Amino acid sequence: MSDRNAKIPFDEDNYTHNIHRNNERMLDRRGFMKTMVGAAGLFAISSLPWGAIAAKELMGLGEKEYPKKKIASLKSVAVGDSVDFSFPGEHDSALLIRLSENKFVAYQNACTHLRCPVFWKKEENEMICPCHHGKFSAHTGEPLAGPPRRPLPAIKVKVEYGNIYAVGVKRYEA
Amino acid sequence: MKRSHAGVIVLALMLALNIVFTQFMVHQFFFEHYRNTLIFAGLNILTFPVAFFIYKKEIRKGGNSHEQ
Repeated sequence: MSDRNAKIPFDEDNYTHNIHRNNERMLDRRGFMKTMVGAAGLFAISSLPWGAIAAKELMGLGEKEYPKKKIASLKSVAVGDSVDFSFPGEHDSALLIRLSENKFVAYQNACTHLRCPVFWKKEENEMICPCHHGKFSAHTGEPLAGPPRRPLPAIKVKVEYGNIYAVGVKRYEA
Repeated sequence: MKRSHAGVIVLALMLALNIVFTQFMVHQFFFEHYRNTLIFAGLNILTFPVAFFIYKKEIRKGGNSHEQ
């Protein structure tokens, strides 16, 4: 066997004598490797926009500005009470809770599980999603129980001239 | 000439890594972990010069062996 392989049938100066079909050498080993390098390049280029957007978001350029919106007057919200409002858009319903005399928190009230509305339960001091009994901490928006795994997105709140305003949406960090 | 498929295999691995990094990148982007997104985008971009280097090396190694 081995001497059959070692034999050179004739003096050859090309390596295409054994090609019988047209374009048989179109995708040889080298061509295949070239394709793979090209594919790697394609992957590299296609990940550029993702990287660019991520970098933009990290540098805070993606921080959106919203016009501040009055939620309620200070007098109308007692400590422990909550107010429903919508921010930043008309259909982005949110929940303001007055935790103490000077502490206000606000969250988008769509549950992070299946977007059911989240309600403030004053007696239990926590936010509850009635659909599947998801519970969220009022202080941080973190989920405490139930199916939701991510915290509620927080809204920045400011008190000015006896009114409570929503001024922005906090960067969502899970 | 004895064929070496090491380059092909390593390049295939590179491509597999590309797929994995892309998957991670998109997921991390979805979860708004932008730092991780950047890391995986960087790794994805980095695999291209590495793959190109491997290709070049492979060409140099077995380039004209049929003429010898």
